[in-house]
Amino acid sequence: MSEPGREAGCVRFFCTAGSGMEPFLTEELRRKLEAEDVTQLSGKVLFSSSVRIHSVVELKAAERLFLLLKHESPLQLSSLSSSAKAAAELKSRLLGDRKQWSSAALTWSRLQGELSQGRGAAANTSSTPRGRRKEEGRGSEEQMEEEKYCDGKSGKSGKREGEQREEERESRGLRGGEEQEEAQTLEKKRKREMSCGVEELILEKRIKRKNHEEADEKERQDEDDEEERRMISSRGSVQSGSRKEKDRAEDGSVENMEHDSVKPAGEEDQKPAPLSRIRPDITSSVTFRISCKCTGSVSRLFSSQEVSRVMGVGLSRMMNWKVDLKNPQLEVNVYLSDDLCLLGIPLSRLPLAHRSYMKTTGLRSTVAWAMTSLAQIQPGSCVVDPMCGVGTILIEAAQEHRAAWFLGVDIDDRQLQKANENIEFAELRTRIQLLKASSMALPLPSGSVDALICDLPFGRKFGTKTNMAANLPVIVAEMERVLRVGGALVLLLSPQLSFLLKKLLSPKDPTPPPGSEVCPCPPLSSTEQQTVSTQPGVKPSPPQERDTQTGPQPPPPPSSLKHHTTLRVSLGAIDGLIHKYVKVDV
Amino acid sequence: MLTSHVKGVTKGYPLLIKATEVKVNEVEFNPQFVSRMIPKLEWSALLQAAEGLGHRQDLPAELVSEYEKDEEFLKKVHRALLEVEVIEGCLQCPESGREFPISRGIPNMLLSEEEA
Repeated sequence: MSEPGREAGCVRFFCTAGSGMEPFLTEELRRKLEAEDVTQLSGKVLFSSSVRIHSVVELKAAERLFLLLKHESPLQLSSLSSSAKAAAELKSRLLGDRKQWSSAALTWSRLQGELSQGRGAAANTSSTPRGRRKEEGRGSEEQMEEEKYCDGKSGKSGKREGEQREEERESRGLRGGEEQEEAQTLEKKRKREMSCGVEELILEKRIKRKNHEEADEKERQDEDDEEERRMISSRGSVQSGSRKEKDRAEDGSVENMEHDSVKPAGEEDQKPAPLSRIRPDITSSVTFRISCKCTGSVSRLFSSQEVSRVMGVGLSRMMNWKVDLKNPQLEVNVYLSDDLCLLGIPLSRLPLAHRSYMKTTGLRSTVAWAMTSLAQIQPGSCVVDPMCGVGTILIEAAQEHRAAWFLGVDIDDRQLQKANENIEFAELRTRIQLLKASSMALPLPSGSVDALICDLPFGRKFGTKTNMAANLPVIVAEMERVLRVGGALVLLLSPQLSFLLKKLLSPKDPTPPPGSEVCPCPPLSSTEQQTVSTQPGVKPSPPQERDTQTGPQPPPPPSSLKHHTTLRVSLGAIDGLIHKYVKVDV
Repeated sequence: MLTSHVKGVTKGYPLLIKATEVKVNEVEFNPQFVSRMIPKLEWSALLQAAEGLGHRQDLPAELVSEYEKDEEFLKKVHRALLEVEVIEGCLQCPESGREFPISRGIPNMLLSEEEA
C-alpha cells in the first residue's frame, strides 16, 4: 500500500553548475520548479522544491543534482590545537545526529524509487508487496559490504566493536529517524509489511559481523553477506515480516527479515546494485562512500582523504552503515571550503548535463541551453544557427520550445551528418531542418529569422579552415541581415573573438581606451555574476543578469544590433562569453 | 519540411523543388505549431512546391481566412509542410537556373567563388 502519488514535502536539494551558469540555473529553478529558498553560491545552487523528482531531474542548466544533507557555516578548525581535536570537531560538526542521516537516507531512497519507477525500471524482485518502492530503493543500496574506505585494515577491528555498539544505537536511531516526517510513510509501510528495512539490515549486519569477525576480508564482504543472508533466509519462512522485527535482538526475527530481503539481496549481489534497484530496504544497512573536496584553511589541516576517512569511520559507527569504496549504494559528497560546508547525496550517477536525447555533443548541453534561454524564443519562432555543427544548440532549444521551428546551417558535411543523426535520435526531424551553406552567404531572406543563436568556432575544439577573426565582420553582417527587427542574436565567443565583436558592433569611439572596451574581469565575487559592459570606460556593473546598454551615442556605423547582455561561462578548459544582442530599428 | 522561405542568393525566390526521392513521414499533428508557421510562408510558394512534388493534395489555392480554427485545413498544411520530406533532389533558383542539390534531406546551398 503505497501512498499513491505521494510527493515529498519540500525536499531540499542542491545542484552544481558550471561557472557562469548559476544565474541561469536559479532562473530555471524558479520558473520550472517553483523552487523556494534558492541560494546561489559559487558553482552551486541550493533550493527547496516539492515537485516530483522527475521534474527536478529535467533541469537543463545544472550539472549534478544532490540531496542536501547539511549546509552549515564554514568549519573553523584552525584555532584548535591538535589534529586530534580538530578531527573530533570535524566529526561532530559534520556528522551531526543519526536522525538526520537516517531521514536523508530514507528520502534518498524514496527519490531513487520514484525515479526508477518513473523509468519503468522498477525491478522489484523482492517479495514484498509493491508500493514499498521507497524502501526498496533504499534497500538496493544496502549491500552489506565491508568497510573499504580505510586504506589500512586497522580501522576494521575498531569498527567491528563500534558496530556492535552501533547496532543498538542504530535501532534506536532508526526509530528516531523514522520519526522524521519523510520517514513516516515508509515507516508505515514497513510496519505493514516487512520492510526489510533497516531492521533487517541491522540484523543482517549484526549477524554477519558476528559470524565473520575474524575472517572478514574487505573484498569478500558482500559475498559473505549474501551467503549469510541466504543461509538465514532459508531457515526463515516469513516473507513479509511485520514491524515487530524491530526488535532485532531476536535472531528469529532476523530470519524473517532476512528472508524477505534475501531474494533481492541475492540478485543485488550478483551485479552492482544499480541505483534504481528497488528492494525493500532500510536505511540502516547502507553501504556508502564519502567523497570529499576540501579547499581553503580546512585543507591545510586535513587532506580530502583524511576528512573522508574521519567521516567514514564516524558515520559507519553512528549509523552502522558499511563503507564500500568501489560500489556503494549511497555516496556522500562533502564540500568544505572557507565559505561553506556542504554535504549532499548525489541523486544520479550521470550528471544532469548528460542528455538522454543527445547522441554526439558538441557544446556542453548546459551552456547550449543557457544560450537558448536568452534568445526569446516564442511559439512559431523561426530560429537559425548559422554554424550549427552537430546541432547541440538547436536540439536543446527544440526540446525546450515545442512550437518553434529551427534551421541549422553548416559548411561541413561531417558535422551535418552528425547533426542529422542527433536530430533523428532526438526525434526532432520535423522541427529542425538542416542546410549546407556558408554562414557568410546565408540563403535566407532579410529579416526572416526571429532568433539567431550561434556558437562560433573558437578554432580549438572544432577546427575550421576559415580564419574566424578575418571573416567575423561578414558573418556578423549576414546574421544581422537575416534577423528581423526585435529578434535576438545570441552568440558564444572566445574572449579574443569577443573583443573583435565588440569593436565591430559598439559605437565607434575615435580612440577607445585600450583594453577597456572588453574586460574579461575576474569574478567580482564568488557569488556574483559576470557582466561586462560594452561601453568603453564603463566598469562592470553590480551583479545583474540584464545589463541593458543604452544605444550608441554618436551616429554609429549603422549597426542595428543593440547590445543586451554579456555573460562569462566556463566551457571546461577555457572560458567563453555569451553575448546577446537585439535588432532594433535603425 | 519544405523550406519555402529559403531564397537563392541571387534574389531568386521561391526556389523550385525537383525531387527524385520523397519520403512521407507520419508526424504528430500540432495545430498550434502549424498555425504559427502559416503566416511565415508564402502561400503560393508552398503550393508550387507541393505541386512540384506531386503532393499538393487538396491545398486550396488561396489561404483560408481564420485558418487557425479550421482543423481540416491545418491538417492539410501539416501534411505538406511537415510530413513530406525531400530526400534527394534539388532546389532550383527561378532566376538563374542554378540548381542546389539535396542529398539525404540536406540541401547544399554553398556557392562557388564566382557566384558569391
